[in-house]
Amino acid sequence: MSGSVERDAQGRRRARWTPWLLLAPGVLWLFWFFYLPLYSLLRMSLSTKPSRFAVPEFSWAWSNYQQAFSDYGSQFTRSFTYALAATLLALLIAYPVAYVIAFRGGRYRNILLGLVVVPFFTNFLIRTLAWKTILGDQGGVVSLLRTVGLLDANEVLLRTPIAVIGGLTYNFLPFMVLPIYVSLEKIDPKLLDAARDLYSNTWRGFRKVVLPLSLPGVFAGSLLVFIPAAGDFVNAYYLGNAKTTMIGNVVQDQFLVQNNYPVAAALSFVFIAIVMVIVAVYSRLLGTEDLT
Amino acid sequence: MTDGVSRRRFLAGAVALGAGVGAAALLAGCGGADGSDGSLQVSNWTSYIDPGAVRRFERDTGIRVTYTEDINDNNEWFAKNRAVLARRGWIGRDSVVLDDWIANRLINRLDWAVPMRADRLTNRANLLAELADPPHDPGRRYSLPWQVGLTGIAYNRSITGRDVRTVDEFLAVDGTTAVLTEMRDTVGLVMRASGADVTRPSAAAAEPAFETLERAVADGRIDAFTGNDYVNDLATGNLAAAFAWSGDVAQITRDNPDVRFVVPESGGLIWSDNHLIPRGARRPGAATEWIDWFYDPVNAARLTAYVQYISPVQGVADELARLGGPAARLVDDPLVVPTPDLLAEVAAFGILTEDDADTMDARFAALTGA
Repeated sequence: MSGSVERDAQGRRRARWTPWLLLAPGVLWLFWFFYLPLYSLLRMSLSTKPSRFAVPEFSWAWSNYQQAFSDYGSQFTRSFTYALAATLLALLIAYPVAYVIAFRGGRYRNILLGLVVVPFFTNFLIRTLAWKTILGDQGGVVSLLRTVGLLDANEVLLRTPIAVIGGLTYNFLPFMVLPIYVSLEKIDPKLLDAARDLYSNTWRGFRKVVLPLSLPGVFAGSLLVFIPAAGDFVNAYYLGNAKTTMIGNVVQDQFLVQNNYPVAAALSFVFIAIVMVIVAVYSRLLGTEDLT
Repeated sequence: MTDGVSRRRFLAGAVALGAGVGAAALLAGCGGADGSDGSLQVSNWTSYIDPGAVRRFERDTGIRVTYTEDINDNNEWFAKNRAVLARRGWIGRDSVVLDDWIANRLINRLDWAVPMRADRLTNRANLLAELADPPHDPGRRYSLPWQVGLTGIAYNRSITGRDVRTVDEFLAVDGTTAVLTEMRDTVGLVMRASGADVTRPSAAAAEPAFETLERAVADGRIDAFTGNDYVNDLATGNLAAAFAWSGDVAQITRDNPDVRFVVPESGGLIWSDNHLIPRGARRPGAATEWIDWFYDPVNAARLTAYVQYISPVQGVADELARLGGPAARLVDDPLVVPTPDLLAEVAAFGILTEDDADTMDARFAALTGA
């Protein structure tokens, strides 16, 4: 029967398995590097270990989740509060920067973009440690703030929530600047001309034309900052103190120091779940249709 | 784009590239996935050996060495290697250097260390008598100390404005203070201040120390928990005082005389970093020769002159004097060549039961906010 062979518009044979074959690399990739590790993490989070160094055994141990919520609620709250603050700060800094580069950058546009990215060629850890020197008790920033009266003689910046949030904001700033820049750069300047022709002032033009069209960039940027910032432990470790620890610090301690893989896995799972809920709500509010 | 690379050609190229990368990985695997080329594989902490030592060892013994500075933290090392060691695999190293308590775990709890080859230990007699019989390795069949250090209090006098001699004075310092993230060092030092015997530690005996620490963290009298990143902060004045390790401070004290190290009046701690041969090591004999070579006082003195910790080898002070120059001056530094009086003030933190270690680690984690 000739019906078993499909042909495309040019009359070439089309094999039925071709789409599946084309999908295979992606599906395999997802399976091996996402679903399988996720399954392994879930299984570990429901395991118990007979002794400290024994291999954990799967046993539907929901108590790990109970412990994750009851013992580490404050670290979860702190992680998401700090990440939210860092995201908002990054947005406040990144939007004007991206706007200037996109609309006023002219022939310096690439150089300006380069200046945003170049500091981030330095290692993440080194950049964070540099802030220890900048915000240090004997550093210039603290003495300046003391001189102008914003800090008391006994007040410091290092090892405070301000330092941790500042570090998070700085470290993830390019992830906010670049998507916003891309969405602003795509805006056709003729739209702004049209707004002006319709007697719109600059502010109104920005509010009615530029801002809505740049929202996909804001959406992508805020997720790119919020998610890694909430899971970060380096900034809290080096710039914070015992009262500013985030959930990443707890996971690190449970994995590396206490060898308690099941609780660490449960904490990671709870974290993933909370992030997914936040992202779902956020995408509902801001919409993702125009992200591509 | 019609003049560019077609999709079909791109896919063919990508497949070829993937195959090439895979083949390269496979070839690399044939040479030993662990990077082994038959040489002795040694892991140690950063900046913990004098620069010419590996070359001189190779010349003296004919054994080729691949020396890697990839140990940053005892717990991290353990977490990284436990799965391979547990299934009796080779972790890619013949020789590692780890603290007393983790040496105890590997030797006595898990049986993950192998004994040294007694026939290759020609310089073992030079080991200081005080270190010959530690609780974690009676008779030293598995381990030999690489270097020895003290845990005490370091302070920057230009910030504190006065000397700090006790743990209580440390907790009363007007300025930023830090204690160590290593539970045994921090809790041990406060245990000594509370009068507890650290050579026979237990969770019950550590109770007063934990209470003191918990109050101090809650009151803000302890501001931070640090690894050895306290060194830079002390020198720059970001920290007024910190619980510290002698060798680290020995080095900054010479550049900045305001930074001082004291063993608290209630007593300090002494510890050693142990050379161990992990289970599955391919060249235990050569690893034994490696550590034995550093027990020759001449080689030991050169090591000490560089790392400035306390040497576990007899006769090092004489060899340091013979080396002359800055090395000879170390002979008078009690943090490098400790006096008998100083040694009388320090004690080694003993072995915890597994339950007590669990309890204390969890409580310490809560203290650090993690």
